[in-house]
Amino acid sequence: MTALPFAWRSLVRQPARATLGILGVAAVGALLFDMLLLSQGLLISMRDLLNRTGYDVRVTATTDLPRSGPRIANATAVTQAIAAVPTVRSALAIRFDEARFQRHGQAPLVATFEGTAGTAAHPWNVTRGRDVMTDGEIVIAAQLARELGVDAGAILPIRVSCRDDQREALPPFNAIVAGIADFPFELGDEETLGGSLATLDTACSGNVHDAADMILVVSSGDPDATAAAVRTARPELRVATNEQMVGRVQQGGFTYFQQISTVLTTVTLAFAVLLITVLLTVSVNQRLGEIAALRALGLSRARMVADVLSESTLIVGIGGLLSLPLGFALATWLDLILKRMPGIPTQLHFFVYRPSALGLHVALMVVTALVAALYPMRIVATLPIAETLRAEVID
Amino acid sequence: MFARGLLVVVLSCVATAVAAAPPTTPPDILVSRQLAEAEHLAVGSIVRLGPAADGGAAREFRIAGIYEPTPDPQRLGSPQREVRLHLPDLLDLTRSPDVLAGTEHLDGINVALNEPGDAQAFARQVQASMPGVIATRSDQVYPAGSFVVLRRFHLAIASVTISAATVFLLALTIMLVDERRDTVGVLRLIGLPVRRILTQILLEGLLVAAAGALFGLVLAIISQGLINRFFQWRYDTALVFVHVSPAIAATCVWIAVPLGAAATVGASWALLRRNGLQLVRR
Repeated sequence: MTALPFAWRSLVRQPARATLGILGVAAVGALLFDMLLLSQGLLISMRDLLNRTGYDVRVTATTDLPRSGPRIANATAVTQAIAAVPTVRSALAIRFDEARFQRHGQAPLVATFEGTAGTAAHPWNVTRGRDVMTDGEIVIAAQLARELGVDAGAILPIRVSCRDDQREALPPFNAIVAGIADFPFELGDEETLGGSLATLDTACSGNVHDAADMILVVSSGDPDATAAAVRTARPELRVATNEQMVGRVQQGGFTYFQQISTVLTTVTLAFAVLLITVLLTVSVNQRLGEIAALRALGLSRARMVADVLSESTLIVGIGGLLSLPLGFALATWLDLILKRMPGIPTQLHFFVYRPSALGLHVALMVVTALVAALYPMRIVATLPIAETLRAEVID
Repeated sequence: MFARGLLVVVLSCVATAVAAAPPTTPPDILVSRQLAEAEHLAVGSIVRLGPAADGGAAREFRIAGIYEPTPDPQRLGSPQREVRLHLPDLLDLTRSPDVLAGTEHLDGINVALNEPGDAQAFARQVQASMPGVIATRSDQVYPAGSFVVLRRFHLAIASVTISAATVFLLALTIMLVDERRDTVGVLRLIGLPVRRILTQILLEGLLVAAAGALFGLVLAIISQGLINRFFQWRYDTALVFVHVSPAIAATCVWIAVPLGAAATVGASWALLRRNGLQLVRR
């Protein structure tokens, strides 16, 4: 009988301890897998979200993240100038302002108005009705439409609080709901509507003129070359490709999750190694007489060491396999918790699967099985046969 | 006294040391430590600050001091490059030409009460007498949303860790109890009742769990310093990331000790149901 079936029989002989050991490895493995998914998850998800929207380059007034820094002045002229750069296919200025909807007997509903101007496609996907065609029309998110009880074709009175001028006495503006849309960058705690920048300016009663939070650019070729060209054309602005935007996020507070993932991965691995080592060591210590007898019967030292290693491999292997579905379930739960954080787009995820994470997980589990088996293997390798058998008989 | 208005400066564009001192002393400002380090500024330096990134309408100021900003968890990862000005200086610097002096908007007014305990009543009174003004107690100004979520996340991680630890603990105690099968059998054979042996096992379990919890706390206190130092260095902040408070320590002990003792007793229970002869394999 080879080492693996022999180790399997050793485990089956002690079903309670084997099951508990495997379950423990599964739980630790699931946590380890999740930490690996978390380490890069947010950045991968952000990159995917940025690329999915179709814009290659983003232009802002400063290096602050959009919606948190100063605005670009003379947005229409700047957008036109950027659109005229040879490597730019189209450009779109976008400004975010706060819109309020009065409801009978309830507090006003606050939403974000995305006002756009330019030649590039709108940063939303229409799911019902049609897109905005003229000034005075808006598209609204499905959730907002439900809460307001309106649909495509309705006329909606809205009040807009323009960020540069917080005067609340602006009259309501009647907008036509052209359609219902999905907004990729809508935050989890946010309701969104979109329209033209001119519509937003009108809603602001002319208090805010031609300012934009960001200009989105679609390049006709290499985004890096386009970004460089835009930077040359408008040196006073901050230009970033999607990859550079991800870099800004990476440098920001979200690195916290990478750091916490590293710390927890290390702690989890140490925990797993320690506990599997103790389990195997106690198991080997209980079977010293049996091991010595097998050695006396002619089984080689290497064969007995392989037996211990196989036992470790079986516990970690089965536990590791179980850890994958458990890890996915746990990741879904933890992702739901973290996505309740304010300011996080609903389509952004903290835990993102990637093959390299699975590869690293398998590699770490293999290393865990090997390292955890080292000490018990040493016990077996240095076991004095005669003395152990004698002690066993006397006992 | 310095006003609380902050002007976050794009320093690379607008702050440049001026070689010669101007004939009239420029107004004083305070500069955050991070900004001073990044731009090699010192107390007494004259800098030019402007409201626009291109340096337009910039004015000269004298650095009167360098301060450590109050750590702001909301700005983790963004170095706090800040300048503090007297409010009139800030308003002069940022006022639009079409705005009359004295009609500018403020972000907020900080009020120090003689009796801090009256804050809630004072806030209610201000809101009632000045419609449109929002008065909030200082401890309620910043929404705790992100931290509530992070707390839930850490609790979830902790619950998974505790589950894994419990499973391992059960496996270990089953093995350890099995090792003592003969001893327990002899104790049964010489007449010790099950309850007496169980009490002994419970006490042993409590002692071991208490020692383990204590060791865990010492480890946590040591690692707390290391983790804080690492993250404070990484984010250039004075924020405290890990704090083993007495309440947290008590919670850990409250979970670990009963769990350890229960695992020991639970694992022993199956053994104690057998009779003495079975235990000594006779």
